[in-house]
Amino acid sequence: MSQRQNKLARFRRAAAPWLFLAPSLAGVGVFMGFPFLDAFRRSFQDAMGTRFVGVNNYQAVLGNLAFRLAAMNTARFLAVCLPLLLTLSLALAIFLGWRAEAFEKMVSHKEGDRGNIRLMRTTMVLPMAIPGASMVLIWKIFLCPEGVLNQMLSGVTGRVWDTDWAFSRHAFPVLVVTYLWKHTGYDMILWLAGLSGIPGEMYEAARIDGAGTFQELRYITFPQLKGTFGLVGILSLVNSFRVYREAYLLAGAYPDSSIYLIPHLFAHWFLNLDVQKMTAAAVMMTAVFLMPVLAAKLIPGRSGR
Amino acid sequence: MRKKRRLTGAVLFGACLLVWLPLILMTAGAWMPEDELYWRYLSPLGLGRDTVRAALIPSYPSWEAMKELLIGSPGFFVMFWNSCIQVIPMAAGQFLVAAPAAWAFAKFRFPAKKQLFGIYVLLMVLPFQVTQVSNYLVLDRLGILNTHLSLILPGIWSTLPVFIMTRSFEAIPDPLVEAAYLDGAGQWYTFVHVGLPLGYPGIATALMFSFVDSWNALEQPLTYLKDKNLWPIALYLPDIARDKASVAFAAALVTCLLPALVYVNCQEELEQGVAASGVKQ
Amino acid sequence: MKSYKKHMAKFLITALAAGLLAGCGKSSGTAGGELSGTEGTTAQTDIPALPPEESGGDSQRTGAAGRYRETEVELPQEVQSQSLIRFLRGEGGILELYTAQRDSEGKNTDTFRYQYLEGQWQPDSGWKGNEVMKEKGLDLMGVFYGKDGNYYLGGTDEDYIYHLLRVDQDGSGTEILEEAFKPAEGQDYGLIPPKIEVLENGDILVYDYWEVHLYTASGTRALTLAKDFSGTTSDCRGFVEGDEFVTVNQGNIVRYSLKTGAVTETIDYSEIDDKRESTWLFSDSGGGIYAVNETGLSHIAEGGTLWEVLIDGSLNHLSMRSIHLCEFLNGDQEDFYGAFTGEAGGSIYLFRYEYDPDMAAVPPTALTVYSLEDNSTVRQAISQFQSQYPDVRVEMRTAVESGGTVTEEMIQGLNTELLSGKGADVLILDGLPVDAYIEKGVLVDLSGLVKEMEDSGDMLNNLLEGFRTEDGAVYQVPAKVAFPLAEGKPEAVEVLGDLDSMTKYEGEKPLMSIDNYENMLRKISRICYEELFGQEMKVKDRSVLIHYLESVKALGDASGCQTFFTETEMEINNVSNHVVGDGMARDVVDFDRGTCDVGTEKLTGYSRLAFPAKIREINPGSVMVPVGNLYLPSAMAGVNQSSPNQDMAREFIRCLLSYEVQKEDLYDGFPVNKKALQFLTQSDSRDNFSESVGYKDGYHLSANWPSLEVREEAAAMLETLTVPAVVDETVMGMIVEGSMDYFDGKKTVEQAADDILRKLSIYLAE
Repeated sequence: MSQRQNKLARFRRAAAPWLFLAPSLAGVGVFMGFPFLDAFRRSFQDAMGTRFVGVNNYQAVLGNLAFRLAAMNTARFLAVCLPLLLTLSLALAIFLGWRAEAFEKMVSHKEGDRGNIRLMRTTMVLPMAIPGASMVLIWKIFLCPEGVLNQMLSGVTGRVWDTDWAFSRHAFPVLVVTYLWKHTGYDMILWLAGLSGIPGEMYEAARIDGAGTFQELRYITFPQLKGTFGLVGILSLVNSFRVYREAYLLAGAYPDSSIYLIPHLFAHWFLNLDVQKMTAAAVMMTAVFLMPVLAAKLIPGRSGR
Repeated sequence: MRKKRRLTGAVLFGACLLVWLPLILMTAGAWMPEDELYWRYLSPLGLGRDTVRAALIPSYPSWEAMKELLIGSPGFFVMFWNSCIQVIPMAAGQFLVAAPAAWAFAKFRFPAKKQLFGIYVLLMVLPFQVTQVSNYLVLDRLGILNTHLSLILPGIWSTLPVFIMTRSFEAIPDPLVEAAYLDGAGQWYTFVHVGLPLGYPGIATALMFSFVDSWNALEQPLTYLKDKNLWPIALYLPDIARDKASVAFAAALVTCLLPALVYVNCQEELEQGVAASGVKQ
Repeated sequence: MKSYKKHMAKFLITALAAGLLAGCGKSSGTAGGELSGTEGTTAQTDIPALPPEESGGDSQRTGAAGRYRETEVELPQEVQSQSLIRFLRGEGGILELYTAQRDSEGKNTDTFRYQYLEGQWQPDSGWKGNEVMKEKGLDLMGVFYGKDGNYYLGGTDEDYIYHLLRVDQDGSGTEILEEAFKPAEGQDYGLIPPKIEVLENGDILVYDYWEVHLYTASGTRALTLAKDFSGTTSDCRGFVEGDEFVTVNQGNIVRYSLKTGAVTETIDYSEIDDKRESTWLFSDSGGGIYAVNETGLSHIAEGGTLWEVLIDGSLNHLSMRSIHLCEFLNGDQEDFYGAFTGEAGGSIYLFRYEYDPDMAAVPPTALTVYSLEDNSTVRQAISQFQSQYPDVRVEMRTAVESGGTVTEEMIQGLNTELLSGKGADVLILDGLPVDAYIEKGVLVDLSGLVKEMEDSGDMLNNLLEGFRTEDGAVYQVPAKVAFPLAEGKPEAVEVLGDLDSMTKYEGEKPLMSIDNYENMLRKISRICYEELFGQEMKVKDRSVLIHYLESVKALGDASGCQTFFTETEMEINNVSNHVVGDGMARDVVDFDRGTCDVGTEKLTGYSRLAFPAKIREINPGSVMVPVGNLYLPSAMAGVNQSSPNQDMAREFIRCLLSYEVQKEDLYDGFPVNKKALQFLTQSDSRDNFSESVGYKDGYHLSANWPSLEVREEAAAMLETLTVPAVVDETVMGMIVEGSMDYFDGKKTVEQAADDILRKLSIYLAE
């Protein structure tokens, strides 16, 4: 190749990634970046955007009791649900699949698969597909004062139960249960898929070396599942905020204080034009989210590490 | 071993039951006539207070509710079409925009790649409320508020598909790509003929997620669409609660069908995608 | 692996299809009738205020100048107390007006004819119609000028049978078509046609409810043609032109041939239909059709397919809801005339529409008014305002159609507009977070305007002052006001307003009537507003809240209140689970029945005073007083700070509170305009009004329109009210929700209070 062609080739190679990224960057800039910058700007102004108020909004928000409650509840929800979900789904996956004969059948996709297995896979995946509003109706059947849960409890304990669960002081566990119901099956399938990617030879080798069950788990399974962990973790985190809508449909705009979450507060702030508080809180939330993202090293290294 | 298998089977069965029970309840409700619905589910429907008499099978099966929903409510169909109009172009757009971007993140080296990807992940994780107000104002400025585009356009540039597709592309062994270059293929050609086919599970996964997510999304349409004519099907349910309770279960069921079908159909690709992206860390 | 190609292909094809659909998707948006946001009225819902050059979605006259100007035609003084029989163009093309003086039973005592000669209405003393009808013992109902050049008079006799007379040369009347109006075998009543049309050849077209019948001059029935229902004179859609009959059938305009009876043409008019009242049709004498309704006057040429809108109804009285169109016709100078009647057939108005080539085709200035729900007073003001200011076009945007529920999202939508510095010029603040708006500076201080209006002496200043904030500003003014009236034994009425006195009350009967607990809570929140809420929302204090709940329980127990009534319980006690916003569900009736010692009524006008007045009459010793000095305002108007038309907006509010607008009783409250109140008090006496209620146990009450003395009494009460009892609905909801278990005995009052406070404190802290 001539010098000129070389240069051209090198230029094209250097420019290539940017060309590939261009459509995405353009849109992300407009639809995500721009709004974020606008939110950032508003966090330093008054509600109607007319005056600059420095960090007043941040102070106001941090000192706001409703915000503190909502933030604490949201953090509590995440801190409880995410580990619970990940552990539960992983435990199920391992229990059901790891090294058992059935496992092979469960994750293989051969033509002769037993119908049960396919049914099971489908079943586990369904709760995720169902829209929240549909499920709320069913939850109400269980949770309302005259509902199935109370009927069962009354039958078992002999005294009359008529708690309105979604509105009671137990609303938090109720919400956690609805969240787990929706996501566990799905995450379990994801774990199973991840497990299936672990080459069987590794286990063979370990067994020959005399490793026991726990050691296999610790030295082979878990390390190999790191990638899946990242995926499952992120997806679950992204979905956890959606729980607001279900909470709202179940328990209304001002639910029991244990499930009063940040989105509830935001909705009410918006109703009262308290945009300055919303944006300040939003910026703070972003900072908080930044940390696990950095920590989880989800960012690709050299050639897709 | 036998014990374990039995135990395994039992646990599995229990788990499936937990999933199917609510669904069967919903299906049964969809085939109940109005009277039976009121008799059984007065409280959950918010129409009064009476003991719940849940049933897995309707006592008097009837097509009433389904007919009313599918034939008697033109609104339902309009909403169904709205959902299609909003979600399908979005998924297609996501494919066109996110796939090349993901390829770039996965297979190229360029300055600030880490930081940029980090921003993408951050944007993905942020809940809707963070940029709710500003999003609204931007869409308003663009003049697309209260149109289908207000959902389609921001949806196309969601960064979650980029994330998933990147991981999938990373799983494609580098030597394959190198080989293509050596054979004289250009970058675009390689992307289209090597990347896309091999990364297919990841792409399908990402699109499938987006599809179901958007199909069921409530926040965005509620915030951006004022006219009820534009509402997608996900909003039908919270809306009918008061006047058309008899259709509630039928609506709930029908709303589930499409996402459920999509999920079920694309399961294979999903698992392949996860398996592939999981292995190659 | 090959399957991916299939999948991708499927995806992309559907994407393409959906994309195409989206493109033509706009039209599909109207498919869901129940979801459609528009009601088809002129005041379009949710269309942003467009700059004048772009507006005009309907085909206005092209060209920037030229519009029909509406002017009122003055009618003779005496006509104002008469009822309209007919307005028509008679012999020689002269405009004629037929009216009747009616007695309290609605029968004519005298009828009159006026002619419009040389720009003035002159009574025709030579008209013999009055005597002719009296001679035959008939009550004049309709006057018709046939195309055969004769006049026809129609009326009913004392058996309520209709008779049609042809007026002969000498002025006497000859009866024709007797058979057509005789009752059928076994029926008591015959046909009373809303309209008659006589053709050139003497054939007579008689309008029935669902049909028209064509009779020959000799009285044989030649044809019957179907049409859509019309029952009153002003409801009549149809006319005869040549040998064709044009009417509305099955939702479309149709042309019938009177020779064959077949439909010769069907014309769709849905694009100009206002979907509220009937569309009035008349001929352009050239085969074309004019159609008039709330949307305005439109025209379609013979054989044409497009409707041309000539007069935009939203700019003049055609869209005014307080009046009803009775007749519309062409004048002889390329102008039009419209005759309207006011409430219940009283008041006659005549307007003339002339083309003014110099007026702007579309008013250059637009003013937007936003309201969550539709409001009749506001609409009335819009019509009035537009006739006062022909250069301004007012658009009203409502978030929800009548009967719908207001959601948070609607308010969020408005808020976003406000945040972007947009939003309507005038905001009707009912249901909106006014305190937040005031705090954020969204509303303009209207003290200047208020001072002007108060100084003029035309206003009930006390009602306006109720909204003055601590720093002396006024951000909202109410257009209509209701107030709670208490009626019962003097000792019982006395204790209202103070919770302790109420709970300690001991009388023969319970203090208050039986009701569901939610209504009780609401009722008491209004009655004891100052003790429980006031400016600082006292109920957020635990002891106040507990006191409130305990008192309600005590009172409720005494009266037999429950949180929920079963069907049988509802029947036995004449109570329901239905909740009214202010909690007052006509329980003055319960006082009369003897189930309680005091009842309350929310007075939204003199119509609601009927029962209380009657009850006081028949219960000697009982008193009727307002509850404290509380009032319940509605249609509260404010001006948007970011409006570019603030002066115009202020003028609109002035119009909203003006005599012309306020004097119409739209059943949504008393006027805040003193002159208007005086008018209603003095002049509005509806003799045919009657209201009654009956229960299964034989209880019966019936009342007429309150007398002048009673009305004056109520008017005087209005002047004493100073405190607007506006209760925060969110707080009310929390209290209701949290206290139900306490009323059912499942929780202690402390538990209930704590539950409520937990939520309330979050709400207040936000």
